[in-house]
Amino acid sequence: MGILTDIYNTVAKFFRPQEEQNDASKSVATNRLKLVLMQDRTNLTPKILEQMRGELIDLLSRYVEMDKELLELNFEQEGDQVALMLSIPVIRAKDEEEIEAACAKLNEENAEESSETVCEEAEGAENTEEDADVTEEVSETEEMSVSEEETAEKKTKKKSRKVSNPEGMNETERPEEPQDVVFDNSEA
Amino acid sequence: MTGRVIVITSGKGGVGKTTTSANIGTALAKDGYKVVLIDTDLGLRNLDLLLGLENRIVYTIVDVIEERCKLKQALVKDKKNPNLSLLAAAQTRDKSAVTAEQLKEICDTLKEENDFVLVDCPAGIEQGFQNAVAGASEAIVVTTPEMSAIRDADRIIGLLESKEEIKSYKLLLNRVRPSLIKSNEMMSVDDVVEILSCPLIGIIPEDTGIITSTNKGEPIVNDENALAGKAYRNVAQRILGEEVPFLDLDEPKGFMAKIKNAFAKLKAKV
Repeated sequence: MGILTDIYNTVAKFFRPQEEQNDASKSVATNRLKLVLMQDRTNLTPKILEQMRGELIDLLSRYVEMDKELLELNFEQEGDQVALMLSIPVIRAKDEEEIEAACAKLNEENAEESSETVCEEAEGAENTEEDADVTEEVSETEEMSVSEEETAEKKTKKKSRKVSNPEGMNETERPEEPQDVVFDNSEA
Repeated sequence: MTGRVIVITSGKGGVGKTTTSANIGTALAKDGYKVVLIDTDLGLRNLDLLLGLENRIVYTIVDVIEERCKLKQALVKDKKNPNLSLLAAAQTRDKSAVTAEQLKEICDTLKEENDFVLVDCPAGIEQGFQNAVAGASEAIVVTTPEMSAIRDADRIIGLLESKEEIKSYKLLLNRVRPSLIKSNEMMSVDDVVEILSCPLIGIIPEDTGIITSTNKGEPIVNDENALAGKAYRNVAQRILGEEVPFLDLDEPKGFMAKIKNAFAKLKAKV
C-alpha cells in the first residue's frame, strides 16, 4: 500500500501546478525573517512578545470569546511605519452581562492587587470561568447565576458554538494547556 | 564639476558588492562618464582582481593618506577604458590605517574631477563600513534573496538612515534565481522589497558567466550576451536617471522548454 500511495503522490505532484509545490520553504523563510527583523528593529524579545500576547488575550477575552490558539500577533511594515497586527478568530461576542461580570472580576483583582499571590489566584479563577463553555455543567451554572431569564437562549448559542468548534471539546483538560503557557509567560 | 559619490555596501560578505562595484563602474565609464572606483576593503582587496588590474598597482589608498604619493599617482587606469580608474586598497594593512575623515577628504577631492566616485565597502558594520560611508551621499545596498543577507541589509539600511550625509539609498537584489522563485523555494523580488521597504535599483540574475568573467578579470558588462551584464548595464542607466524596466527573468515558455524543465526538476529530486 505504501508503495502505491508513493507512486500516486509522485504522479499527482507532477500534474499539480508548480506554485502549490514546495510552498513551505519560501513562506517559512519569509515569516521567520519578518519576525526576526521586527525583533531587530524594535528590540522586542520573544519573551516580551509572548507576555504582550498573553496580556492581550486576558484583556480581549473579557469582551469576546476567541480561539486563543489561532490568535496571531504580527508586526507589519507599511512604508516607513511598523504596524502591530492582531488577528483574532472570534467565536462569538460576549453579551453585556458577561462583560460586566468579567469587569467586576477585574475590579476585584485590582482591589486585591496588593498581595501578588491573591491576584494570581483571582486571575486563574477568571480564566477558568472564561473557558467554562468547555464543560457544559460548569458554564451552565455560571450563566444561571448571571441571569436566569436568558439561560434558554444561551443554551442554543452554546450548541452552535460547539458545532463550530471542530476540536473535541468534551475533553475537559485540553483547553487548559494553552492557558498555562500564556500564564507562565505573563508571570515571567 | 561635482560628481556623485555612491557607496556600495551590504553588511554580509559574499553577496556581490565588489562584483557590483566593478560592473556598475565599467558600465558608467562605457557610457562616457569619468568614474573612479575606491576599494576600501583594507587587508582584503579584490576589486583589482575583478578588473584585471592586480599587476598594475603601485600605490594604494594608504600610501595616499600617509603621503608617500599624490592621489593622482595612485589612480590606476583601466586596461580598456581610460574613463575608469581604480584606487586600490592596501593589502598589508587593516581597517584602522584609515579614518573616516581621511576617506571623506579623498572622496571630496576625487569628485571634483570625476562624474562618479564608487566606494566599494567592506563587509561588516564596523570601522571599515563607517569609513566607506563617510564621503558618500548615496548608497546602493546589495543583497541576495537569502535570510541572512536580507537581515544584514536591514541592519545596514537602519545605519544608513541614521546618517545625515546619505541622501538616498537603493536596493540591488543579486543572484536571483527565477526557477527557484517560481517553485516557491526562494523569496521573490516583491517579498524582499516588501520586507526591506527600500526602492529597488536592480535585479541581477544568478549567472555562471560571473565566475568566468572574474577568472578573466573582465567585468561581465563587457559581455553583450550575458543576462547579468545586461542587468548591470540597466542599473547604470537607472543611476543616470533613466527609467528602464526590470528584466523579465522568467524562463522560456515554449513547450520543449517546459519538458526540459520538468526533467531537470525530476533529476534534481533523484
